[in-house]
Amino acid sequence: MKSRPPKESDLRGQIEQLTELNRRYIQYIRQKVNQLLEVMGTQPLRPEELDDETLLEFDPIGIVAGAFQQILEHLRETVQELEMARDELQAIFNATGVGISIIDTNFRIIRCNEKQRQMLVSEPSEDIRGRFCYEVYCYKDSPGLDCPAVETMATGKAVTLREVKKKGRFFQVVTTPLRDSEGGIKGVIEVLIDVTEKKKAEELMLRTEKLVSLGQMAAGIAHELNTPLGNILGYARLLEKDPSLSEKQAERVRIIAEQANRCSRIIKGLLDFARKPDDERLNAECNLTEAINSALSLLKKEADKRQIEIILEDGTFPSVRGHAREIEQVFVNIILNALQAIGRKGRVTIKGSVRENSVVVEISDTGPGIPEEIKDRVFDPFFTTKLPGEGTGLGLSISAGTMSRLGGGIEVENLKAGGTVFRLFFPLTGGSER
Amino acid sequence: MKGKEKVEINILGQVCPACLLVALKEINNQRKKLKKGEVEVVVRTDHRDATRTIPQSAEAMGYRVVVEKVKTYYEIRIS
Repeated sequence: MKSRPPKESDLRGQIEQLTELNRRYIQYIRQKVNQLLEVMGTQPLRPEELDDETLLEFDPIGIVAGAFQQILEHLRETVQELEMARDELQAIFNATGVGISIIDTNFRIIRCNEKQRQMLVSEPSEDIRGRFCYEVYCYKDSPGLDCPAVETMATGKAVTLREVKKKGRFFQVVTTPLRDSEGGIKGVIEVLIDVTEKKKAEELMLRTEKLVSLGQMAAGIAHELNTPLGNILGYARLLEKDPSLSEKQAERVRIIAEQANRCSRIIKGLLDFARKPDDERLNAECNLTEAINSALSLLKKEADKRQIEIILEDGTFPSVRGHAREIEQVFVNIILNALQAIGRKGRVTIKGSVRENSVVVEISDTGPGIPEEIKDRVFDPFFTTKLPGEGTGLGLSISAGTMSRLGGGIEVENLKAGGTVFRLFFPLTGGSER
Repeated sequence: MKGKEKVEINILGQVCPACLLVALKEINNQRKKLKKGEVEVVVRTDHRDATRTIPQSAEAMGYRVVVEKVKTYYEIRIS
């Protein structure tokens, strides 16, 4: 079959069709280019700026696509950097030694770090995000009046609470406002610092200062009183032997001698207390087992009389640095104190262990325990709850003074099951050598 | 220290958006060197709008942009 050549009119028609199609394509490309330019933040292209032919040659869609590719790459890099920064921040947030919580204006916990969890949350695995801080941290059903977060939200200022007791430990709480980009308060950052050890150290320092000043005063008074007291005692003893005295008079003289003797014992205690440590006494080596056994033999009679059993759980202890007589006196003071606290029938348990660089001797009793309100004062000189004649109030403070001179320490705690435990910390020989 | 290579494009007299497209084309061409910090693209324009659109786009790509007025025109330095 032979094809006919197309008619001129047909060809013209086809050209018109194609031109129209081409015009529409160009229009479409301009429209899309303008859309892209709008995204890039600029105005649409004007036809006089780029004619149709130049437009296709210039390839604006290709240029904008290239630019988008670079923008996307930059975004990806930025996201990666942000993720890294977020992970680092989270690691710092968790590794810091202080507890940190971020709380919103409704007192809901937005986030908290591991330390905060360990310090305040009873169940460390519990998810506390979104819960009320006063419920989780303070066991209340509304924010307390003394809450520093309330004050920070109201005033926009940082607030510091020096000492808050929670779960048996002391904390310093600092709240600072968390602001949004307009400066409004959108929450509070709460930082919790465990100050228990610092507080203990401060108390020890205070106690030591008290002991030092008391020691200086006591040494002066004791020295002055010793001579007249010696005279009273001497003359009383002399008078006691006078045959011309009636029985009643002799009894009164005996009481005078006995009381003078007691005064003398108190003065001796004061002088012991005030005595400055010397190198010889500090550097001597003491066998702890012997010191404890020696103290127990002195107190056996007293314990039997009171029907109190003394149990020495671990009979062997390492040697420590210190004067044997002084250390023995510490044991006598603490154990006697325990016997007096129990009164009649009970048990005193002594056990030792080695913790880090210390030998720890625990002396626990089945007595009534020490009321919380006076617990901080039991090491104060002349502080006593004993009946007159039973104690001077110096035993525990002398013991605390001795332990502190030895570079160790003493602490007291009430036991949950009842009774009290005194812990004596002796530095391990060699462990504290410098 | 070896100085940075400088690529200059002069679009004085042109208006946006052609300015932007010309600048973007050059940034695309120089992208590898720009990323390595080996080149600085300097655009000269007297069209005020371009001093907004070109820096905006270049900053979105992560480049450092400095705009300076020099005599009767602006110099946009991208690095």
